[in-house]
Amino acid sequence: MWYRNMSRVTPDCKLDLLQGTLDLMVLQTLDAMGPLHGYGIARRIEQLSGNEVLLNQGTIYASLVRLQQRGWIAAEWGVSDNNRKAKFYSITRAGNRQMKKHKSQWERLAAVMGRVLAAAAEGGKG
Amino acid sequence: MSALKHVCARLISLFRREALDREFDEEAQSHLDLAVEDYVRCGTPEAEARRLARIKFGAVEASKDAHRDSRGLPWLEGLVYDLRFTFRGLRRDRAFTLTAIVTLALAIGLNVTVFAVMNTMLFRGYPLVQRNDRLVYIQEQYPSGTCCITYLDFEDWRAQAHSFEGMAFVGEKNITLSYGEGRSTDATAFTVSTNVFGLLGVKPNLGRDFVPADEASGAAPVVILNHRFWESQFGGRRDVIGTSVLVNKAPATVIGVMPEGFDFPTQFDVWMPYMRGPEVNQRAPEAFMAVGRLRDGAKLQEARAELETINRRLEAAYPATNRGVVARVDTYSQANIGPDAPVIYGSLWVAAWFVLLIACANLANLTVARTIGRWSDFSIRIALGAGRGRMMRQIFVESLTLTSAAGVLGWWITKWGVRTWAVETASIYQILDYTLDSGTLAYLVAISLASAILFSLAPMGRVLQIGVNSALKSDARGVTPGLRGKRLAAVLVAGQMGLAIVLLSGAGVLVRSLMNVVSANTGVGDPEHVLVGLLSWPSEKFPSLAAALGYVDRFEAKVRAIPGIVDESVASNIPVNSGNQRTFEIGGRPNPPEGGEAVQFLSVGPDYFRVVEAPAISGRDFNDGDRTATLPVAIVNQSFAARYWPREQPLGKRLRYIDRKKPAEWLTVVGVVPNIMQGDATRRQFKPLVYLPFRQAPTVLGVNFLLRTGVPPGQVAQAVRVEIQKLDPDVILKKFTNLKASFAFDPDRMDRAHSEMGKYAAVAPIFAVMALLLAAVGLYAVIAHSVSQRTKEIGIRIAIGAAAEDIRRMVLREGMWPVAIGMVLGLAASLGVNRILQSQLVGVPPYDPGTMTGAPVVLILVALLACLIPARRAMKVDPAFALRHD
Repeated sequence: MWYRNMSRVTPDCKLDLLQGTLDLMVLQTLDAMGPLHGYGIARRIEQLSGNEVLLNQGTIYASLVRLQQRGWIAAEWGVSDNNRKAKFYSITRAGNRQMKKHKSQWERLAAVMGRVLAAAAEGGKG
Repeated sequence: MSALKHVCARLISLFRREALDREFDEEAQSHLDLAVEDYVRCGTPEAEARRLARIKFGAVEASKDAHRDSRGLPWLEGLVYDLRFTFRGLRRDRAFTLTAIVTLALAIGLNVTVFAVMNTMLFRGYPLVQRNDRLVYIQEQYPSGTCCITYLDFEDWRAQAHSFEGMAFVGEKNITLSYGEGRSTDATAFTVSTNVFGLLGVKPNLGRDFVPADEASGAAPVVILNHRFWESQFGGRRDVIGTSVLVNKAPATVIGVMPEGFDFPTQFDVWMPYMRGPEVNQRAPEAFMAVGRLRDGAKLQEARAELETINRRLEAAYPATNRGVVARVDTYSQANIGPDAPVIYGSLWVAAWFVLLIACANLANLTVARTIGRWSDFSIRIALGAGRGRMMRQIFVESLTLTSAAGVLGWWITKWGVRTWAVETASIYQILDYTLDSGTLAYLVAISLASAILFSLAPMGRVLQIGVNSALKSDARGVTPGLRGKRLAAVLVAGQMGLAIVLLSGAGVLVRSLMNVVSANTGVGDPEHVLVGLLSWPSEKFPSLAAALGYVDRFEAKVRAIPGIVDESVASNIPVNSGNQRTFEIGGRPNPPEGGEAVQFLSVGPDYFRVVEAPAISGRDFNDGDRTATLPVAIVNQSFAARYWPREQPLGKRLRYIDRKKPAEWLTVVGVVPNIMQGDATRRQFKPLVYLPFRQAPTVLGVNFLLRTGVPPGQVAQAVRVEIQKLDPDVILKKFTNLKASFAFDPDRMDRAHSEMGKYAAVAPIFAVMALLLAAVGLYAVIAHSVSQRTKEIGIRIAIGAAAEDIRRMVLREGMWPVAIGMVLGLAASLGVNRILQSQLVGVPPYDPGTMTGAPVVLILVALLACLIPARRAMKVDPAFALRHD
């Protein structure tokens, strides 16, 4: 049956995002770039990740509303560079604190993962 | 704090759903516009740019859903959706909803009522008393029977037993209480050791508690009033504290009033300190009981063993009085309700669970039927990608909605049921606390939840079986529904019938047992035409015995003159009731070492045996010549004669009471009369009796009268009432009824082991009938549903020549098979179950053949009826219509 294999048609060489990582990316982007609309944030993440991240741009809005409800970002309707109406997001002070916390956690986790994987690789060789 | 804010934000978003959706749409549109612009700027043609932008964005609706889920509370939204769906469905299906809620509410209400009653009977204990579960109630068992305790034994226990934190003594006394300006009333008093209220942990509402000095010899007498008595006699006046009253003409001070609702150990009027008099040293049983509080960690068994050891020491020290005396240590329910209370109330609770299970099985069947009715609906939803979990949640929400409604209704039923029970079974000898507490409410919530789970299981199982293709297909061209669903329904029906038959046969033997008691041969001829009543008067009414006897003479003369009254007599006790038992000795025979057997002695007037239609077999009746001055005589019954003079002529033999203080007079037997039931609670045997002439052995505080009427007794009753009132308004007429009616069951007349029997036998049939009805309704629903599902099949059968008779047989077979299986299993089970009831059965074996055949017959008849109604519908199926029918 042809449809059984449909899911495999989608390329799976891109990275699936871990739970919560998108939120951190959004915060980081807003922190670095200042106020930005949803499309801008999505583009920025794609660029920075070198198109490695599998991202339906639409999904970023779920993340944005979540962060907004937690009070970590604020939103305001405005006008874009080329005069289009868009909703602009900016990081709040609480969001900034949160980002730093998550960032350090993330770095520690990444470092640990790196060490573990390296050790495993060496062990495998020996 | 921020977490709370977050939840609030999410909650608020639920109510701004549309505005937020619109905002998302706008934002998505602006996103796409920006993206298209970008692509166009890089040289992509506009149409292609739009396509690319959309691909990049992904599914807009999915994103919107994700947006909703992350801003709101998806589970709550789902629940609200499920609830709305449920309400809509239930409103559409009114008949189902109503049946479901009413049956469940009844079953839940019954179950919680029984739970509350059982809790009260077995565990609650006295109202207001602290840590009831640590209290034990002690009486002594003498070789001649159980009754009371000896004060000196109590003192030894209190001094020597280590398993008790404390122990208090409770004696009883009838007193005359005079107060105010010459007002006086008869009252019942408990004479207690002064530590009793402290031991119970209850303080007087007004005034002070007893102190040890109150019981010292020579102390000023004091009394504490029961709240009820204080309100009725003293008008609830607070200044009663410190006033002086006369107790049996001796002054005493009122020092306190106990709180409202406090009665201990039964409903009496006052408490006063027990004063030991010189007669205490005779070690005669005199008091009601002792109450002890077990030390922390001490077990009931240890307490029993300890008192047993002490009693054996006492036996060695005082062989004359303490030989064979055993201390009986009871819990609240053993003392207050009877030794079989756990069996009785436990089995009623189990029965209530049976009823609830039957109701749940009904609900399961009905819900499955509904689920099958919505089969295509479910199949389509599954085909469209709805999760099975989601659908099971839907089913559970529906069950929960039904049980919640039933639970609320059930709570009202419980309140009503417990109140009705409390009123109907009230007895001054049982102090019970029926308040419904939070534990009962928690139990109600728990069983409601449990039944929701129970009856969701079957439909949930069905949903799990739905395969997308099979369901759509079988609905499209299926003729009969899957076999699996039918098997489940049959199993449930069989289970219901099995439970119903267990309850039916249990109730059957209990009722038969009660009938045995109530309709037992009493030896009295035509008791319907005998009026009985108790005349009682205040103790100070007649200063001397002669005055009282004078009143009785005047009373007898008056009532004999009433037209319609044929014969009249007085007696110390009416037939069936138990009375004074006394040990006796027979002239010319050595006394048995244990002090002789005890039999009941009754005082009766001259025409007594004519009134009860039991004329003397040999010798003579009493007559007016048997008076104080003449020869003391006695009449014995056949049972007495057979037992004590088996091969001798009883007439002329002599017997007398055994009295430790002074030898009693010898009584000469002048007659033998037929047996009359007296003093056997279960009315199985005629006990040996001795009758004395009323004038030679009068009763002091009242007398029973018996009037044989030549007309229906109702016609003369009013005249008797009027005569008594006219003769002396101070004399109170009590228990005025006909003798037949007085034979009815009366718990206060039963022995301890059977005192709850009447309630048991009265309540058990309610359970059985409910179980039977619910099971029948369930069977009817299953068969009716099956018939409606098979309309097409039945139509085909009729079209190809099946007779109406064949159709009926087919439907009956489908319905009666599970009934038969359930019945056989149920009968087998009830053989075992009824054995548990054995202690409560009088004259009926637990496997009573009559009941064991009667119960199945009733069940089969009801089941046949439940099947015949749908069978008739099936027979009337019009083949042409049925084949078109979808």
